[in-house]
Amino acid sequence: MPLGITVLLVQLMLASDARYLPVVRGTISALTAAIGWDDSDCRAITLALDEAVANVIRHAYHNRPDGVIELRCRGNTDGLEVTMLDHGDAPDSVRICAREVGSDQVGGLGTHIIREVMDSVSYQRTESGNLFMATKRLRRT
Amino acid sequence: MTISTREVGRARIVEVDGDVDLGTSGDLRRTLFALLPQTPILVLNLGAIRYIDSSGIATLIEVLNDSKRLNKEFVLFGLSPAVEEVFRLTHVNRIFRTVRTEQEAVGPA
Repeated sequence: MPLGITVLLVQLMLASDARYLPVVRGTISALTAAIGWDDSDCRAITLALDEAVANVIRHAYHNRPDGVIELRCRGNTDGLEVTMLDHGDAPDSVRICAREVGSDQVGGLGTHIIREVMDSVSYQRTESGNLFMATKRLRRT
Repeated sequence: MTISTREVGRARIVEVDGDVDLGTSGDLRRTLFALLPQTPILVLNLGAIRYIDSSGIATLIEVLNDSKRLNKEFVLFGLSPAVEEVFRLTHVNRIFRTVRTEQEAVGPA
């Protein structure tokens, strides 16, 4: 369900190369600050979306740097909506699972962060590719 | 990200400056795994880390697990609020030995 009136629309098209993750972080950090989250929330949302892009680089494109990732962030009066499309391998449903809290297991940390930070998260296989969607609502005090 | 190392008593101190992410965590992993067998106490200063993602946290967990296997100590200090937030989000703050200062990490001379 769309949130509020669009006030900012940022679209990034990037190669599946981890060297460009700082660009993603810089963009999301500035966008979340402009929408109105505090520093702590800005850092958490930036981390979550950086993890989402990193997951695509690792799992959809297997660290090949020649894949394409299309990231679209719609900032609005009520929060943030994010869609990300890639054309790599479909997400493995086993990997997109909850991680045991406090465990010393290495896997699943990124997905855990995304689910912990964002209000809604979904993954779909579409004709255009793998579609990640997430929202975060701005809670005004 | 830059990494430097030095010795203090029986410990090896690893200093990391910059962002630890998917693109850089491999370098940190290689450094820590190379040093771990060489010292009884491996100490990581997180004070100059501006950003750490799940690949960085996973690296620290791997080193911690290996330190237990080798009967070594792996100690973290200087956690910034940003790093502490990631530790909290990933619920790993209780599995590491974290202290505030290098002196506490290294122990008595």
